[in-house]
Amino acid sequence: MARRKCILLCELIALCSLTVGCSSVGVKPWQRELLSRQDMRPAGNGLDEAIDDHMYFSKEASSGGRSFGGGGCGCN
Amino acid sequence: MQLGADAGSLRRRLIAASCALLGSSAARAGQGSFTEQLGRLMEDWKIQSALAYYREDGRIQAIEPVISAVRDLSDGGKLALNFTFDSLSGSSPNGALPSHVAQTFASPSAKSLASARHLYTISPGRLPADPHYSDARVAGGADWTLALSRLTRLNVGGKFSYEDDFYSATVNAGVEQDFNDKNTTVSLGVSSENDFLQPIGGAPAPLSDYSLFQKGGHETKRGQGLLLGLTQVMSRNWLSEVNLSLDRFSGYLNDPYKLVSVIDAAGDPAAYVYENRPGSRTRRSVYLDNRVAWERASVGLALRYMTDTWGIHSDTAQFRLRWWAPGRDQYFEPSVRWYRQSAADFYRPWIAADSAQENYVSADSRLAAFHALTFGLKYGIGLTDRLGGIGRQGAEFNVRLEYYQQTIQNGPVAPAALQGLDLYPSLKAVLLQIGFNY
Repeated sequence: MARRKCILLCELIALCSLTVGCSSVGVKPWQRELLSRQDMRPAGNGLDEAIDDHMYFSKEASSGGRSFGGGGCGCN
Repeated sequence: MQLGADAGSLRRRLIAASCALLGSSAARAGQGSFTEQLGRLMEDWKIQSALAYYREDGRIQAIEPVISAVRDLSDGGKLALNFTFDSLSGSSPNGALPSHVAQTFASPSAKSLASARHLYTISPGRLPADPHYSDARVAGGADWTLALSRLTRLNVGGKFSYEDDFYSATVNAGVEQDFNDKNTTVSLGVSSENDFLQPIGGAPAPLSDYSLFQKGGHETKRGQGLLLGLTQVMSRNWLSEVNLSLDRFSGYLNDPYKLVSVIDAAGDPAAYVYENRPGSRTRRSVYLDNRVAWERASVGLALRYMTDTWGIHSDTAQFRLRWWAPGRDQYFEPSVRWYRQSAADFYRPWIAADSAQENYVSADSRLAAFHALTFGLKYGIGLTDRLGGIGRQGAEFNVRLEYYQQTIQNGPVAPAALQGLDLYPSLKAVLLQIGFNY
């Protein structure tokens, strides 16, 4: 249980660090060449992720986290 | 005068030529209108399509064609549509334990063991699985993103899924706000899911004796979700994303086809009962995704921690590397995913016949403690310059191969009569996917 709390704490610290540091990091619009690439976009591999998510959804107890689920199968 | 006559003649000829030219243009336009319209339509939409073949070692196999279409709207919004079809067949484990004696079961449509249309007998030592499993699923969805201002977007969407024994409808809505010169995006979304289950043969009474066929009608399940996201540009080649999610499901959360073996003192199956899970489940998760790009490569590392009120905790780490060949028209993308979960509080591989009855029990291996590894490799080749006149930016053919292995942790010490049996068989599966983007 202590390990779980430690993992959760680390993740929350990472989130807080990102939030606090947000205003001091970033790039100008003309510096986004690499960021605009398809492989850098969230859900850039949309179909791959959808197919993988369906496989994991039907074989594991955890799913989602990246975006909303739903429309899945009745395989619980 | 001669000049005037010649000029009139020339004018008439020019008018005739112009009419002929216009007529011929109109005729050409008429002939080309369909292809031109199709071309214009294809210009407006980005199409992704894939055909996936999934096969488990000795269990299920599935074929899944998927297509999605995305259109950027002139007002800065976006419309996305997707459609999926699944066809599944093979052997589905029914939850019972392997045994040193042969075990006979009936398919779910049976009304009694005597009138069963499909009886199946499992040989000693084999994992009980219904060999007649077959299902098909049709699913689709739509998402519309509306630009409310230069920095604010609203999105609404819906999904549906249809199977013979399961219908699901989900709606979602969210808002995204950019800050910090569009380097920071905060999003908040909600979703609502409504499911209708009509198990083949009826929904069994929870914990009822399998041989009594105590089955009812349909059941329902509801879900609500909340997702808070933060996307941050860290540098000109580093993007980071954090999501916190909370969702809650309530209603009928059992798998209506899963049994639990009741073991006598000798370790032989004395009976089977249908599983029963709590009627609600709340899950929380933290998801962290980091992507870094270089001129000819990019890497992505996604981490997820999830916990729920069933006592399940899971950790997931997924890493991928995309490497572009010189010329940037071909790439290779190896990936690896590691996953582990603890068991649900009510997971029991079997029930001892002389033990006190528990309210909730399931032998579904998906609720057991296990870890899983996935190894994948994808190859993509750009088609922009290979399709001649119909080529367009982003056109691509790709093929992907994945290997998945799930290793279940051993549970409680088995009675002597169960020694030597593989009570926790691992799952091995292969996925082959062919894709075409245009």
